[in-house]
Amino acid sequence: MRYIFKFPDIGEGLEEGKIIEWYVEKGQSIESGDPLVKMETDKVVTDIPSPKAGIIAVRYGGIGDTIKVGSALVEIDIQGVDGEAAVAQAKEQPEAPSKEAVDEEGFAGVVGTIEVAGDGAYLPSGDEGRPAKADAPKARKALATPVARAMAKDYGIDINEVTGTGPAGRVMKKDIETFSKSSASPKMQSPMSAALAQERTRTEPLSQIRKTIARNMLRSKQNTAHMSIMDEVEVSELVAARARINEALAEKGIRLSYLPFIIKAITMALKDHPLLNAELDMENERIIYKNYYNIGIAMDTAEGLVVPVIKDADGKSLIQLAKELSSLIEKAQERKLSLDDLRDGTFSITSYGSIGGYFAVPVIAYPQVAIFGIGRLSEKPIVKNHEIAIGQILPISMSVDHRIVDGAEVSRFLNDVLAYLKEPLLLLAHEGGTQ
Amino acid sequence: MTYDLIIIGSGPAGYVAAIRAGQTGLKTLIIDRKYVGGMCLNWGCIPTKSLLESAKMMKKVRSAHEFGIAGIQADQLSFDWPQALKRTNQVVAKLTRGIEYLWKKNGVEFLKAEAKILSATQVQADKRIFEAKNILIATGSRPASQELFEGSIDLEDLYSLKELPKAPLLYGRGGHLIELAQFFALIGSNPVIIAADLPLIPPLDEALESFIQRKLKKDKIPVLTVAESQIKKGMILSKGQEYPFDKVLNVSYRAAVLPPMDLELELDNGYIKTDRSHETSVKGIYAAGDVSGKSFVAHAASAQAMEVIEAIQGIAPPQEQRRYPINIYTDPELAQIGLTESQIKAQGIPYEVNQHPLTANAKALAEGSSEGFIRVLYETKYHQVLGVQIAAEHATDLISEAGILMELEGTSYDLARTIHAHPTVAEIYMDAGEVE
Repeated sequence: MRYIFKFPDIGEGLEEGKIIEWYVEKGQSIESGDPLVKMETDKVVTDIPSPKAGIIAVRYGGIGDTIKVGSALVEIDIQGVDGEAAVAQAKEQPEAPSKEAVDEEGFAGVVGTIEVAGDGAYLPSGDEGRPAKADAPKARKALATPVARAMAKDYGIDINEVTGTGPAGRVMKKDIETFSKSSASPKMQSPMSAALAQERTRTEPLSQIRKTIARNMLRSKQNTAHMSIMDEVEVSELVAARARINEALAEKGIRLSYLPFIIKAITMALKDHPLLNAELDMENERIIYKNYYNIGIAMDTAEGLVVPVIKDADGKSLIQLAKELSSLIEKAQERKLSLDDLRDGTFSITSYGSIGGYFAVPVIAYPQVAIFGIGRLSEKPIVKNHEIAIGQILPISMSVDHRIVDGAEVSRFLNDVLAYLKEPLLLLAHEGGTQ
Repeated sequence: MTYDLIIIGSGPAGYVAAIRAGQTGLKTLIIDRKYVGGMCLNWGCIPTKSLLESAKMMKKVRSAHEFGIAGIQADQLSFDWPQALKRTNQVVAKLTRGIEYLWKKNGVEFLKAEAKILSATQVQADKRIFEAKNILIATGSRPASQELFEGSIDLEDLYSLKELPKAPLLYGRGGHLIELAQFFALIGSNPVIIAADLPLIPPLDEALESFIQRKLKKDKIPVLTVAESQIKKGMILSKGQEYPFDKVLNVSYRAAVLPPMDLELELDNGYIKTDRSHETSVKGIYAAGDVSGKSFVAHAASAQAMEVIEAIQGIAPPQEQRRYPINIYTDPELAQIGLTESQIKAQGIPYEVNQHPLTANAKALAEGSSEGFIRVLYETKYHQVLGVQIAAEHATDLISEAGILMELEGTSYDLARTIHAHPTVAEIYMDAGEVE
C-alpha cells in the first residue's frame, strides 16, 4: 500500500519549510519515527520523523527547496511491497498516484513527536485550546468527539496538537490514547542513543508541561531583546509594617507574605509607566497598552514552573491578594489550575529568592514585556545616618523587552517600585484614587 | 478476458460489493444461482418486513374502534395470504430492479448460474471459465438442517405455500423465530415456539430478552424448549400440556453456504475464516457476509463488502470491527447497538444504566403504542455511551440516533443537551440522558 506523507503543520501559522538535508534515499527501508528530512521553518530547524514504517518510494524536493505545508514530502510503500518494485513504480508515476490507491489520512503520531516553537499561552497547564491574544483572530476549535475532549482535559493534553484519525480529521478517543502514549515513550531515539542511554545516560520523555515550558522559554528568548537591571532595597519599614499587620490580622487567621505588598507596589508603579504593562505587536507595527493589571506569579510545582495570574490585581486589597495567592498556590500544587487561571497576564513576578539566590536574570513571559524578580531577603550592614547599621536588604532584578522599554524607563519604574517598598505607607497614599 | 473481481452471491454483501467495485472502476462479474438480492431481498429482510406489516396492520384494524373508527367488525377480519404475498412480491420486484439498474449503470456484468471456484484466479459458471484477479465469496447462509422434525420447511419455502398453517410449530432460535411467531399470532393462527435453547435471541441484552419473553407470554404464544419437550407426531408434550401443530418451520441458527471449490479454504466452525480485510486463507479470495460467520445481518454484510473493495484497492480497514445495530422486527420492535450490560460487566467497566419506559411518552401514548423502554448504558468516567437498547414500535429506526452518537463518541450529557422535538418518541433519548 502506498502512503503519501505530506509536510505536516508543525506549528501554528507555519506555511512552508526549506529542506536542509535528506536522511533517506529512494528504496531505503525505514521505521516509524525515523527522521526523514531536516526542515527549516520560520521558527525552528527540525527533523521530520516518518509516521509509518516502510520503504521510501518517492522523495519530493531537493536541498534548498521550499515545501508548502500539506504538500507531499515522501511516498512510503507500506507492507509487502519490495523496494525495487516500489522504486520502479515510483519512477513510472512521479506525480501523486491515483486517489484510490493511497491512504491519504492524517499524519498520525507525527505532530506529537516534533518539538516546535509554536504559539500558546505563556504556560498553559496543557488545557484544551489556546488563549486568544487580545486582537488575534480566535484559533479554530479542533474537531473532536466529546469523549476525546474530556480525556484530553483529563490527561492535560492540548487537543489542538493531536492529529485526528476520525472522519474529517476528527480527534477520537484512541487518538488521545495514542498521543498520550507517544508522548510518554521515547520513540524518536536512534539505536545509537538508545545504546548510550543504557550505559551513561538516562532518557526520560518530556512531559507536556515541560514541553510547554521549553517552548515558551525559547520563544521568549527568540522573540524579545532581553535587558536586565538589578538593585537592592532596604525594607526595614516594610518588614516592620508587615509584622504589625500580621499581628493585627492574627485573630482572623490571616497572614500576609511580602508578595501582596510587592504586587501592590508594582501595580501602582505600572499605572505611571504603562509601557511596562504593554505588548509589542510587530505585525501591525503598534504597541498595545493594557488598561488592566493581571499579574502573573511564577510558581514552582512538582511538574515544573507554572505562572497563574491574579486578575485586576490593582483593584484588590492586600488581604484579597493574599487569599487569591494562597488559592492559586494550592491549585498549582494539585494541578488544578484552569486555563483561565493561566491566561492573559500583563506583567509577571518571580520570587526565586524564596528558594535561594540573590540576583537572577528572569525570562520575560512573552508576549509580556517585563518581569520582576525578587531575591532572598537578608540582613546586611548598611550606612544609616553616617553609621553602620543592620538593614533588611531585598535584592531585586528585572528583565524587560528592550525593543520597547528603554533603559531609562525601566530605571524610573524600578525607582517607583522601590520607593513604595521602602516606605510602605506610600502604598496607602494613592489607595482609592485613580492616580 | 480477466475480471478485476468476480463475486459469487448477490445478497447484501455481493450486490453492494458489485456496485462499489463498478463505481471505483473494477471490471466486475457477479454470479448468483437463483436470485438478484439474495436472501435479504427475496425471502429474508424485505419480504418478512412486508408480511409483518400486513400482520401489524391487521392488529391495528382490529383495534380501530378504540381510535373512534366504527363499522369494522373485528370478527369478520381474515388474512388474505395471496394478496399479502402479491404486495410483498411487488416490493421485492421494485428493489430487485433497482439493483439491476445500479449494476448496469456501473458496468457490472451479471450471470445467473451455479459458480465453482477452480483456483484463486478461476471461476467456472455456465460451462465457461472466467479469469479473475480477485474473488469475493458472498454466498450467505441457510438455517442449519435439523433432525428433530420430519418434513420441515424453511422460510424460503413459506412463500410457495398456497395456504398458511393454522398451528405452525417454529423451531430454532433468533430474531426471525420471534418475528415469524408474532406474524402468525397477529393474523390469527396459533403458533408454538420450540426453542433450540435459551435465550431466544442470544446477542440481545438480557433486558430485551426478558421483555420479549414477557411479551410472548402476554400474547399467549407458547415458548417451549427442546430440553423440556417430548416430540410426538403432530404434537408436542411439554410440562404436562399438549401443543398440536400442522407444519414445522425450521428457523435454526444459520450455517454457511459454501460454493463448490477445487481448492481448500480454511474454515472456522464451518464458516470461511477471514482476516480483518475479509481475505481468506487464499490470497486474492475474500469472503463477506454470513458466509464468514462474522455477523448475520444485512447491513454488516454490506459494510464488510465495502471494506473488501477498499482492501482490493490497498486501503486497510480500521483496526476495530465497526459497530452496527441489531434490529428485531417484533411487535413492538427491538433494537440495540453497542455493548450489552453483561458485556460491559465482563470488561469490568464501571457503568450506569438510565432506563426510561415509553409509558410516559406523549406521542407513544397518542399512537396507542406505549409498550417498551429505552436503556442507555454509559461508563462513569467520561459518561461515554457504550450501549443502547430500545423496545418500541419503531425501535429499529430510533436506534440510528444512538448509532451516530456512539460513532462520534458521545456522552449521556450530549443526549440530554440535544433538543429533541416534542412530541416525538425519540424524546425518550433526552429522558435517558443526563443533565450535567
